[in-house]
Amino acid sequence: MHQITRSAELTSLPEFRKYINLACSHHSGIDKQITYDLQLAVDEACTNIITHGYQGMNPGSIILSLEFKGAYIEVTITDFGHAFEPIQTPAPDLEAGLEDRPTGGFGLYFIYQTMDEIEYTTNPYGNRLTFIKKLESAVG
Amino acid sequence: MDINFLEKHPADIVQVSGSVDALTASVLTDFLSLKISQDHTNLVLDLNQVEFMSSAGLRSVLAALKECRNKGGDLRIAGAQPGVEKVLKMSGFTNILKIFPDSENALASFSN
Amino acid sequence: MFRNLQLKSTPDRIEPVTDQLTSSWLEQYSEAPILLSQINLLPENIKKRVYRILIPPELLARFQIDPVSWKGAGGGLHVRLDARAGSNSVRLMAFSDDDRMDEFFHLEISDNAEGSLEIKMLQLNDPQSPRFGTVINREVDQDVTGKAGRNLEEEQRAMEAGLAPGQIRDGLGALKITLNQFETFLAATGHRAYFLEPQFYSAAWLFEKRGFAYVRGHKLMDNIHAEFQHGGRLHQALDSSTSFRKPDAWRFVRGRAWAIHDGILEAISEKWEDLRMVKQVGRKAGVETFPGAEY
Repeated sequence: MHQITRSAELTSLPEFRKYINLACSHHSGIDKQITYDLQLAVDEACTNIITHGYQGMNPGSIILSLEFKGAYIEVTITDFGHAFEPIQTPAPDLEAGLEDRPTGGFGLYFIYQTMDEIEYTTNPYGNRLTFIKKLESAVG
Repeated sequence: MDINFLEKHPADIVQVSGSVDALTASVLTDFLSLKISQDHTNLVLDLNQVEFMSSAGLRSVLAALKECRNKGGDLRIAGAQPGVEKVLKMSGFTNILKIFPDSENALASFSN
Repeated sequence: MFRNLQLKSTPDRIEPVTDQLTSSWLEQYSEAPILLSQINLLPENIKKRVYRILIPPELLARFQIDPVSWKGAGGGLHVRLDARAGSNSVRLMAFSDDDRMDEFFHLEISDNAEGSLEIKMLQLNDPQSPRFGTVINREVDQDVTGKAGRNLEEEQRAMEAGLAPGQIRDGLGALKITLNQFETFLAATGHRAYFLEPQFYSAAWLFEKRGFAYVRGHKLMDNIHAEFQHGGRLHQALDSSTSFRKPDAWRFVRGRAWAIHDGILEAISEKWEDLRMVKQVGRKAGVETFPGAEY
């Protein structure tokens, strides 16, 4: 298992991406698009934690871990800020004309689009967001 | 993230390199806003050297696109790498703005 | 739109319980963590049997204390347990002498409002080392200078003897085994993580090494490290204006800790307050806000 912990600040975002890149490069069969998908999902999730999760608090830690399990990759993001339910944010309107196009809401949508399974649990020990990314031989 | 501005005709080229994420996107937004306010309303956003873009980057692009069009101009994208291109496709941005393989083609499109 | 999405959201809220620990309760709530307030309702000898696990046996052996009876070589009782019925906290103190004057182990833990456990106090002292009168009384109101509750002369002597703020004697080098022992207790009682609030920079650093992450204060620790570098505001504030602000203090954990205890964070408009750390049982977070630090 690969794991790093960084503070919940925007300056940690590039560090998480670099770490994912490094971890993926050590495993064969993980192409650039899969790496990008993982970086994107993690980036969006961490951005949410950083901008909302620790709001009103002295920011704490975000723990990122990756497990490569052959047929899939499991990513876990743990934080200790306010809990927030991923499902509650409405999906962005992709068909809207330019004037009506919303400027927000894409973050979660990208997570849903790039990851195969998402699980979110919250308890007094922290919030845990887990993604499963399946590794298929053919492009999905 | 670095930004290079090249004054050309019939559009100007904004070359971005690095990552456009929640940490850096506001720099891009402010830069584009400034240029547009100085009447640079036809822009090619050259993303050839952008290795990563998240939804924060999209917000930046969208804000600039709206500003350009409100002033009678346009913003077009050139050279997006596969990962960034997928982000543009997933968000449906490929429906609302034009994307080109390189900035020469993007520039030429402004002449039509 | 969300093809391939399987979204499982299983909120896992743990409500604090104060039910009696009967065998039927334990049967029914086999997954629920057991709280100190529940254990404290048990008969005295059962409480003692349960809380015996909190002191590492090898530490007791170092002072020739029997791990089962808690008696010393002379036959006196060397360990005191304070775990009253109706209380949600436990205090455990171990002494090297029959008269229970020389304390080498002091642990205070309590349930918190979310149903998990906190370490409120942990002191590990070497009873053979000199004692310093560094009275650091957090209950006393600080005056404007922040000096109320500090014995500056004793602090300076302690600092020069190599102690960190908060220590009245040398440590035992037993933090690792003590926390490992505590995690064994937590796993047995069904807890997956625990919390504490570091009172000093040196304490935060030690807990980072033991695998703690931050609930609050990671950014502050990062800022402190950055500002102690050359050109940083904390670096500049190490101007020998007090004996706790020596110019080279930035290089050492203890040096920084004393400077921070002395109020140097005012140079970056911060205070050492509100930090909170968390440790997941059996797992290390790998936080290192002062990479390559020398203690």
